[in-house]
Amino acid sequence: MTLLVWRQYRAQAVIAAVLLAAAAVVILADGFQIASHWHSILLTCSGSSACLQQQAPLVNGVVSDLPYLSLLVPAVLGMLWGAPLVAHELESRTSDFAWTQSVTRTRWLTVKAGWLLLAAAACGGAIAALITWWSGPVNASQADAFQSPHFDTQGIVPVGYAVFAMALGIAAGTMARRTLPAIAVALGGFIALRLVISDLVRPHYLAAVTTYYNVTGSFTPPGAAWVFSQGAISKTGQVVLAGWGELEPAVPASCQKLLPGNGGPVPKSGSPLSAVFSCMHANGWRGFATYQPASRYWPFQGIETGIYLLLAAALIAVTLFIVRRRDA
Amino acid sequence: MSTAIQAHELSKRYRRASALTECTVTVPEGRVSALAGPNGAGKTTLLRILAGLTSPTCGRASVLDGAPRQNAAFLAEIGFLAQEIPLYQRFTAEDHIRIGAHLNPRWDAPLARTRLAELRIPLDQRVGTLSGGQRAQVALALTLAKRPRVLLLDEPFAALDPLARRHFLATLTSAVADAAGLLTVVLSSHLVTDLERVCDHIILMAGSRVQLCGDTGTLLAEHKMTLEELVLAYMAGEDS
Repeated sequence: MTLLVWRQYRAQAVIAAVLLAAAAVVILADGFQIASHWHSILLTCSGSSACLQQQAPLVNGVVSDLPYLSLLVPAVLGMLWGAPLVAHELESRTSDFAWTQSVTRTRWLTVKAGWLLLAAAACGGAIAALITWWSGPVNASQADAFQSPHFDTQGIVPVGYAVFAMALGIAAGTMARRTLPAIAVALGGFIALRLVISDLVRPHYLAAVTTYYNVTGSFTPPGAAWVFSQGAISKTGQVVLAGWGELEPAVPASCQKLLPGNGGPVPKSGSPLSAVFSCMHANGWRGFATYQPASRYWPFQGIETGIYLLLAAALIAVTLFIVRRRDA
Repeated sequence: MSTAIQAHELSKRYRRASALTECTVTVPEGRVSALAGPNGAGKTTLLRILAGLTSPTCGRASVLDGAPRQNAAFLAEIGFLAQEIPLYQRFTAEDHIRIGAHLNPRWDAPLARTRLAELRIPLDQRVGTLSGGQRAQVALALTLAKRPRVLLLDEPFAALDPLARRHFLATLTSAVADAAGLLTVVLSSHLVTDLERVCDHIILMAGSRVQLCGDTGTLLAEHKMTLEELVLAYMAGEDS
């Protein structure tokens, strides 16, 4: 079976390898440049965070879109390799040849899909490794590691995406029996699921942590944490979110007269609101921050990859069932 | 002589129409059976059920003492050639021969190469660039290289010119002779003269049903007709 798979896909494999090598050259060349630029910034600023913030963005132009481009790789693999895997054999009737050799359809599909899923994992992994390395300096200068394009282009999740997109293409092609509609389903389904999981499911992989602190002070979750909300909370559970826009109606009457707009004292230094915060503190208000700690980056990567791999396994199981049972 | 193929009240219904209705058929081992009948009579469906590509709605099919099934040992016994001559258009004949060697336990690659060399069909040319007759010969050579005990051919020469048909039938006849009674063939076609040349058994189908099944000599003697007259009589009977 492996010989048949190799003969069918060797041309595409060569094209994919060439494209991957070209991408690697671009990413490596650009990555070294960014790294040296970042190094010189670090030397110039010698630890001053104000200086670091004043620097121009590390990447700009077309190259800054590299991570976004890499997001497309799984979808392309699913459309070009996954969707035709069964559908094209049915369309061109070569399934009549393949399924009357001395090989069961189960074995035929297992070997064929197995190699392509492996190829998808390899492509996804290679691109992810390159982007992860390329993004090193950018990551160091950015605060949020849990959202696009950081979380979904680096680490191990791209492997999960690629395997899932391939399985979705294969399953769609098997159900539709035609390549074109399968390509559409593979693309649409992949994008839809990615959005649903990253926006609605990912924040809840683990229960978020809430840290309370003295409202007169300040608190920043350490590292590249994923902050959901931050603000102040009263003894009765009344909440004012960071930005303090709704501060005036929310704070106790005794503190309102301290607000700068209400004729309160304007301190010579520090925050104009420090008197208000002291008053709120005296009335039992606390600062709070709800977030996913930076230390959960790898657990989250693992959970998300697991979800996509499980979905891929389910799709392959359905495909196997259909290929074995349905009339050819 | 044992029975190679047996179908008992085999039916296949699709959503709208019945493709096969209560077909009962017996083909003894070593015979070359002509599956004749008009288009849409159910010939293809019957052959695909026997090859294990389609499952019947009801009834029983038995090929070499077992229902057609997804099992490597069973599949090794069956040679199937569909009407569309399914080959990988971008592979060469040699590619197909090598792949066949990996997928089949009794693969006879020299046999396929010799047959195609005799017919002067290039082994290193993409199958998609060969003529229809050459493609059919490649497909038949591959099916025979599998060394099947039951050969199911679905209108394999529908698209061939008379000369290519003659070559195809000659290949088939020599394969049957080589197998010395161990190869059973069912060959569907509506070209009765071609069937008459190679067959000693007939299954006549019309309107999704089997009309007649048995030894050609016996049936022709009973009806006092030629094969062509017999087929026409049953096809006409279906129309009226």
